[in-house]
Amino acid sequence: MEFPDIFWGVIAWMILWGVVGSIAIRRRYLQHDLDTSNAGFVGATVGAATGPVGLIPLWLNTPELGGRLVVLPAIVAVLLVVGAFAIADPSNNCVASGSFVASQFTNGLIIGIIYGFMALGLTLIFSILGIVSFSHGEFYMIGGMLVYYITAVWFPGINPLLAIAMACAAVFALGAAFERLFLTPMYQGKIDRPVEYGILITFGLAFTLQYFVQATAGANPVKVQRFFDFPKIRLPSTEDPWLIKTSRGNLELFDTVSISNPRFTAAVACIMVLLALLYFLHRTWTGKALRAVSQDREAAAIAGINPDRMNMLAFAMGAMIAALAGSLLVQAFSWLPQVGNIPAMRSFVIVVLGGLGSLPGAFLGGIIVGLVEAAGTGCIPDAQKAASYIPAYGMVVLTLTLLLRPTGLFGRRFAGGTHGKV
Amino acid sequence: MRQQVPYLMGVGLLALFVAFPFVYSAGDYDYIMHIMITAFFYAILASSWSMLAGYAGQFSFGHIGFMGIGAYTTAMFSHYFYLTGAPTGLCTEYQFGATWLVIVNPIGVTSTTLTQDCLRQAIDVWGGTVEVTSMPVWLGITLGTIMGGVFGLMVGLLVLRLRAAYLALFTLGFAEILKATISAEIEITRGQAGMEMPALFENGVTIFGRFYSKTDKVPPYFVMFALLLVCLSILAWLSHSKFGLFVRALREDQDAAAALGVNTTRYKVLVFVITTMMAAAAGGVQGHYVGIVTPNSLFLLQMSLVVAMAVIGGVESFIAAAIGAIIIEFALEMLRNSFYIGGFEVDMTLWRLVIFGILLMLTLRFARNGLIAPIINYFARGHVAGETVAKRDAASEAGLVK
Repeated sequence: MEFPDIFWGVIAWMILWGVVGSIAIRRRYLQHDLDTSNAGFVGATVGAATGPVGLIPLWLNTPELGGRLVVLPAIVAVLLVVGAFAIADPSNNCVASGSFVASQFTNGLIIGIIYGFMALGLTLIFSILGIVSFSHGEFYMIGGMLVYYITAVWFPGINPLLAIAMACAAVFALGAAFERLFLTPMYQGKIDRPVEYGILITFGLAFTLQYFVQATAGANPVKVQRFFDFPKIRLPSTEDPWLIKTSRGNLELFDTVSISNPRFTAAVACIMVLLALLYFLHRTWTGKALRAVSQDREAAAIAGINPDRMNMLAFAMGAMIAALAGSLLVQAFSWLPQVGNIPAMRSFVIVVLGGLGSLPGAFLGGIIVGLVEAAGTGCIPDAQKAASYIPAYGMVVLTLTLLLRPTGLFGRRFAGGTHGKV
Repeated sequence: MRQQVPYLMGVGLLALFVAFPFVYSAGDYDYIMHIMITAFFYAILASSWSMLAGYAGQFSFGHIGFMGIGAYTTAMFSHYFYLTGAPTGLCTEYQFGATWLVIVNPIGVTSTTLTQDCLRQAIDVWGGTVEVTSMPVWLGITLGTIMGGVFGLMVGLLVLRLRAAYLALFTLGFAEILKATISAEIEITRGQAGMEMPALFENGVTIFGRFYSKTDKVPPYFVMFALLLVCLSILAWLSHSKFGLFVRALREDQDAAAALGVNTTRYKVLVFVITTMMAAAAGGVQGHYVGIVTPNSLFLLQMSLVVAMAVIGGVESFIAAAIGAIIIEFALEMLRNSFYIGGFEVDMTLWRLVIFGILLMLTLRFARNGLIAPIINYFARGHVAGETVAKRDAASEAGLVK
């Protein structure tokens, strides 16, 4: 169906004032010798949310751009878009059906947790090594592939948890070996431009791994049986307006939201591993050493930490996290050698949105991207087009982030991408 | 004498490529010619990418996307624009004297609508009385090139503030959005079905008294070869002028370059525009030569190939990148044949890419200047080290005497 002009009118109006705001406010702050790190972003969101009404006082007063001024206009702007959409297309499922919205929201949240978890590995690698690993998607793919081969081909009937552990261990070893063999010259000052080297060499690894798997495993999609069945539950009791009902492969909440078993178990496992990871990073010596290296290599070395070994650990752990995400999702999607491309792109989007090198940012970014994708697929009227554009939703988020706030939500000042050299 | 070797080799290669279509006459002539044309196509992409990444340090992973913009613009131009001798009364059309510029309405790809666009309906009504001419191929390629430059300008302006990893991610994202858009907008781009394009010389062409039909490989061979030479000459001219110095300064240290008075904004955008125009032109010509353009030509694999060719050849020398691309394209084609080891089939269509990936990684790890560039350097600049040492010795002797 065609969208009425009002929707496009509102969008055009918001873009116009967003652009005006981001340029004018930044200039103004620059002239007044104030902190401009948020000026462009706040200018754009205030402009988009309120138009000239909000921009003029902002331009006149140039207040300090702290927490509330950053968050509020962004929320208002998002609400405005949603409102315009609701007025423009009142019969859309996203507007008319509350249960559809709830269902999309829950599924977006769950898949977002998994995305965020996967992006965590990428951001861990970046925070220690200062490179963006382009082979992240391939580690994800190999994790799933290994679980398929272990459970279905090599050792049928094995406990899936054991299979996952084996796959993770294998990818951990692969990541460690790759780091030792190919990334070590980066820290020995043998390479003029380590960031570019890191990008190209991981790109080469991705290429090699993808075709290696395709050559050995074939290009036919494979799928793994779901790992666990839900117990049959119907709460509060057998009476009709129930709250939770489960069948073996599905979980239903309040008669409206339906969550499939593989995604649910994957999300729960991700949260548990995330908690374990946080414990590791904040409570153990090795984890603290990792964080110390990410903050200051030289100081960490002086304190008796071997930064090179932390590099290996970080890369291997990042690869393992991707593999774990893959081995959890192999029960939800059919698996191909190319399956890693889209999650890899998504992880890039998420880490940039959350701020390269920021762990909470990656997780929050994952949830945001999951929700945006759920909204994009659910709300665009033409379902076929909506599905084709899935890779593009995240990219729109990425573009907006890079334009408005290159450091991301929680970004440390790594905007140059050159680690260590701010 | 030794420094003349690369020039002699260059002239020799040039002569070889010019003479090749007339000298070679084995049974697989068409196949080899096709590989040659594809190799030239990749050589254009790899050498322009090496200018962007190797000289200017802008590691863009969207190069293949710009190629796609060129190809799709060219395809859509030849697909939707026609000149007719009479108004159709159905299409959007503009009158220029006695001819009408007709813009055909997009109809998508469902089987019932395939022959139902407004021009076809009009042709049915006219019954062959009105002449319908399609647009000249060269105009389409020019427009595709310009469109590539326009997008290059926009992306170049957008990525001005981004460095290294962010730039790579953004350009990769740009290429992905482009692919998604082309796959999704089925009414206009025909999605995965791809857009058919007329051959470069739809009615054949006569060169030096010899007629070549539209399926003949010789004319597209020389068109692509000429385009490669034009691109290489532009790149050579640029790299030897101030431009080359400036973009290399940009690569080494952007802030220092700006402090020394290099207009970093201008040169960063300029290098984007120039290289993307080359990619777009190559895309347009390749599209006309192959006869179809599909979203699959924008796959990441293609970008990987371009990157790998440039890196293996030598990313900081566009000549080496071009030669590397030609050699690798040939090697990849020659390795296509599967073979058996002890009854076990080795599917070389995939293993060759694995080998290629390992070669890429090893080159990066152990020969950072690529495999071709050091050879050129050995001949062209090998004497420089010796001369420098001699000069230094002479200077120190002179110092002793003084």
